Amino acid sequence: MSEFERVASAGELQSGQRKSVVVDDTPVLLIRTGDDFHAIEDICTHDGQPLADGPLDGNRITCPRHGAQFDIETGRAVCMPATEAVTTFEVQVVDDDVLVRPRG
Amino acid sequence: MSSSGTQTDTTPGFGTAAFESFLETRDEPDWITAQRRAAFACYQDSQQAELDPEEWKRVDLRRFQPEQYELCDPPADTTPQNLKAQLTHRTEFAGHVSHLDGHCVGQSLSDNLRRQGVLFGNLGCLLQEHAEVLRPHLLTRAVQPDKDRFASWHAAFWTSGTVLYVPREVEIREPLHSVIALAGNGATDLGHTLVILEEGSQATLLEETLSADPQTAGLHVGAVELLIGRGAHLRYVQLQNWNQQVFHFAHQAGCVAQNGQLQWTVAGLGAKLAHVHQDVTLEGPGARAEVNGVSFATERQLISFYTQQTHQAPETESDLLYKEVLRNRARVAWRGMIRVDPEAQRISGFQRNDALLLDSECRADAIPGLEIEADDVRCSHAATAGRVDEEQLFYCMSRGIHRREAMHMIVEGFFHDVYDRIPVEAVREALSTAVERKLGILN
Repeated sequence: MSEFERVASAGELQSGQRKSVVVDDTPVLLIRTGDDFHAIEDICTHDGQPLADGPLDGNRITCPRHGAQFDIETGRAVCMPATEAVTTFEVQVVDDDVLVRPRG
Repeated sequence: MSSSGTQTDTTPGFGTAAFESFLETRDEPDWITAQRRAAFACYQDSQQAELDPEEWKRVDLRRFQPEQYELCDPPADTTPQNLKAQLTHRTEFAGHVSHLDGHCVGQSLSDNLRRQGVLFGNLGCLLQEHAEVLRPHLLTRAVQPDKDRFASWHAAFWTSGTVLYVPREVEIREPLHSVIALAGNGATDLGHTLVILEEGSQATLLEETLSADPQTAGLHVGAVELLIGRGAHLRYVQLQNWNQQVFHFAHQAGCVAQNGQLQWTVAGLGAKLAHVHQDVTLEGPGARAEVNGVSFATERQLISFYTQQTHQAPETESDLLYKEVLRNRARVAWRGMIRVDPEAQRISGFQRNDALLLDSECRADAIPGLEIEADDVRCSHAATAGRVDEEQLFYCMSRGIHRREAMHMIVEGFFHDVYDRIPVEAVREALSTAVERKLGILN
């Protein structure tokens, strides 16, 4: 099991904001919605390129190129052309530190 | 995609101060220093410029942290015990050159070839001793320093390199061998390979890259220039076999004059992330190029090729075949282009890319392309990607063959038609061994 890595302070992001980080040598998108933080691999499973700038609507992020959508909590692909889920990461908030690691 | 990552202020190892101290360590003539300074100015300008998205959008540079790398001092141990070149003992060579952590650590050439005027050895030394022969070709005809930030980075900071110069009508029968190795953690190699074949000459150069330790991080920002004169014939092989912690960026270009022939094989086995920009330009009528690519990516490797076959003259021929096998979560991207100039009539251009995917999580992107401005040509391209047929595996297993051995046979069979085009048996054997290692059959 990989160790948690500190990637941000909780106060750094407002709800709806995001940060691109690298965890376990993988590009990861950290997103805050309300008081929750979610972390997904920052690669669209359809075309293999970053989701980073994609619009966010609730828990859905839309790929800026072809419109594929993913649930940022579960990673599930919820709109074509993506059919495979995006990998999600485990997030913990300890004091003001946001910690992320790959799921077991 | 954020394709930045080489900003001046975040790359102290290759910033202005580092460049000036690097120049002080080089005892070089003014023309080389001037060429480096011009390239460094380009390198600085290119920091903010976006890389060509057509070439780079499938190359995710976010994992690449250039500030982790810097130029190294000459290594104390020039022959690390665990440095095992794949080709060394497989055939007889007429000459060797070795580089370690960006420094030339050994060179030899048979007396016979030396007497015939062949030059083979360390770029830095030979440029000073034979400037009149080599200067017109260094970073002028094939690789352009202002092409992008990696080309200018290389042109400003190239460290060691291999030169092969073959005079007119000299035929070298035995191959020559060049080894580029990395040993230190975070070491950088900016090696340059310059091959010049004068009219009617022939040679074979086998080059391989390798790491002393499977875990040490490294960086290669290299360039290869192959200049084939009229009626000359070059066989060039580059076996990229770094460990899986190395970032490999290379500009490689071959120019073939009238009736010249180039047989060029590129193997991509190692590196965490590798991107090779490969240009073949057919400059004179009757010029011919055969380009072979063999790649086996595993774990989380990303291996990317951007190839261009440019026909500038009539009755030229280019034929490209790339074959890739992928396992685990590996990715391979190939973007190929055949360009035909308006005056290049009656040419033949072909490109083909085949990918074999051994797992469901690997990914291969193949994007062939044609840009044709002449109206009497034969150009075509093809690309395939697919999984191993379970029925083939089942058939083998029903004959008592273990699944792993069956997979090995299928992979070897897949590579067979590109092996058939590789003119040197030692290279075919080395590739076959590498395939067994990648499949987990050998340690």
